[in-house]
Amino acid sequence: MIFTLWKKEIESYFSSPLAYVLIGLFSLISGIIFFNLLVSYTDGIQAMPQNYAEQISFVEEVVLKFFANVNFLFLVFIPLITMKLFSEEIRMETLDLYWMSPIREWQIVLSKTLAALTLVFSLLLITGVFPLVIWGVGIRDVHLLGTSYLAVMMNASAYIALGLFCSSISGNQIIAALLSVLGIMFLWMITWGGHLNSNYVVAEIFTYIGITSHFERLLRGILGTQDIIYYGSFVLVFSFLTVKSLGRRNW
Amino acid sequence: MDKILVVDGVTKEYPGRVAVKEASFQVTKGSIHGFLGPNGAGKSTTMKMIAGILPTTSGEIRLFGQKVLPENRELKNQLGLLPENPPLYEDMKVEKYLQYVAKLHGVKNTKEQVEKVMEELSLADVRGRLIGNLSKGYKQRVGLAQAIVYDAPFLILDEPTNGLDPQTVVELRDFIKKLSADKTILFSSHVLSEVEQLCDHITIIHKGKIRASGNLQDIHRKFRQGLVLKLGIGVGQKLPDLMSFGKYEINHHSTLSMEEQFLINFESETDIRSELGKFILDRGLNLMTLHIESPELEDIFLHMTETKK
Repeated sequence: MIFTLWKKEIESYFSSPLAYVLIGLFSLISGIIFFNLLVSYTDGIQAMPQNYAEQISFVEEVVLKFFANVNFLFLVFIPLITMKLFSEEIRMETLDLYWMSPIREWQIVLSKTLAALTLVFSLLLITGVFPLVIWGVGIRDVHLLGTSYLAVMMNASAYIALGLFCSSISGNQIIAALLSVLGIMFLWMITWGGHLNSNYVVAEIFTYIGITSHFERLLRGILGTQDIIYYGSFVLVFSFLTVKSLGRRNW
Repeated sequence: MDKILVVDGVTKEYPGRVAVKEASFQVTKGSIHGFLGPNGAGKSTTMKMIAGILPTTSGEIRLFGQKVLPENRELKNQLGLLPENPPLYEDMKVEKYLQYVAKLHGVKNTKEQVEKVMEELSLADVRGRLIGNLSKGYKQRVGLAQAIVYDAPFLILDEPTNGLDPQTVVELRDFIKKLSADKTILFSSHVLSEVEQLCDHITIIHKGKIRASGNLQDIHRKFRQGLVLKLGIGVGQKLPDLMSFGKYEINHHSTLSMEEQFLINFESETDIRSELGKFILDRGLNLMTLHIESPELEDIFLHMTETKK
């Protein structure tokens, strides 16, 4: 059943120009970013005295910065991907179709999350060219590349769960998108708040709640249980809220 | 007789507004039950509560003997709903959409079932078209197809013919009539002639309250107060005083080419046609028309919805 629901969402994405525009824009912008990072890296090396050149790490300067930029692009792209998932159904009153059927709320939420993840995955697929370039340069760290992509996908799942919830509380796509943008920015700001706080415990709590610290650890190739628990519970909590928000409409 | 649907004292309150107040009525198996009321009377709200997609504030709805609750998933495949705004995905093609709905309801032979429904509703020609590009009539057909594609024994149709062209209206009406052979249908409308043609049972709702419910004939009988006669006498002739037949009231008078026609409401229900005929002829008047007027559903409807304001 999940497959049927997922397939319908995917077909809906690719029957409108939105998916193609997003994929096109994403590959264009991420391409420009990657190119610029490469250029500034080589410029940096050339500007350095011979002996110091190897101190500029390719991983630090290009790979990590690139994925951090991808994360930044998600601030705009993911709300655009999730905004219509429930808003459109609320506006067109098509959710009745599901309420009349034996489908459960969680099945709808899960299938829509998977569909959005699939679209994000196809966005990232284009960036698969860059690891090939990196490979060519001689950086052959499969583990690092693996965790980097994992980090980006984990962040994407969290943003999608948040975006889906925003979409489920408004029949207006624009409002849903704006709410998700604000939500994602808030997640980033919590970490900054942690940095600014002088109380150690409060700062630690803020850092844990904020998404950035987990993302950075993953990017550096560290996958700890606390990060798995963080992302897992984040997605579960927001999916649960979405189910509840749908249930409120239903009964 | 089997009661498929029992609505028992159902109330629906929104903040600051009561949409439906203690509504009670029953729908008998195999009937087409007309649900009548002016716009905003609470028809759609009641229908959505019966379908289990809108919570009741109080009261109970039982369908096939089971309480209607969102978690009661057994009922989901037994009930088809065509809401006021059909739940259509405008970016889907007709055939795909119907197959999708069938799959949601776990229909095994999806392809054949969809094919059959498209054939019945003359949708085969538009199977490959996007729903968003269809005319209103076709959208309504797809909406109806969606409600019957999983072969539910009970159908709720909310104003299925509203705003459609006359030909489509006739076709849909015939189709609904055909459906009633093996299904029970609750059907709302504010077109009275349609309800009279299709339904054997009706429920009238106004301002959230049920005004009348039951067999169409019984309701007719109940609302015929006294005796209404249509009496025609020769052109230019004057109607004599009829007080000898008891209290009466002339509801309507019109001058036609051949006669003066009166619609007279007598307080007593006794059939006085033969005496009245003799009375007219004895006074040297021409008797052109004399028959009992049974009240139209429209009269009942207007009576229910106006006088009780």
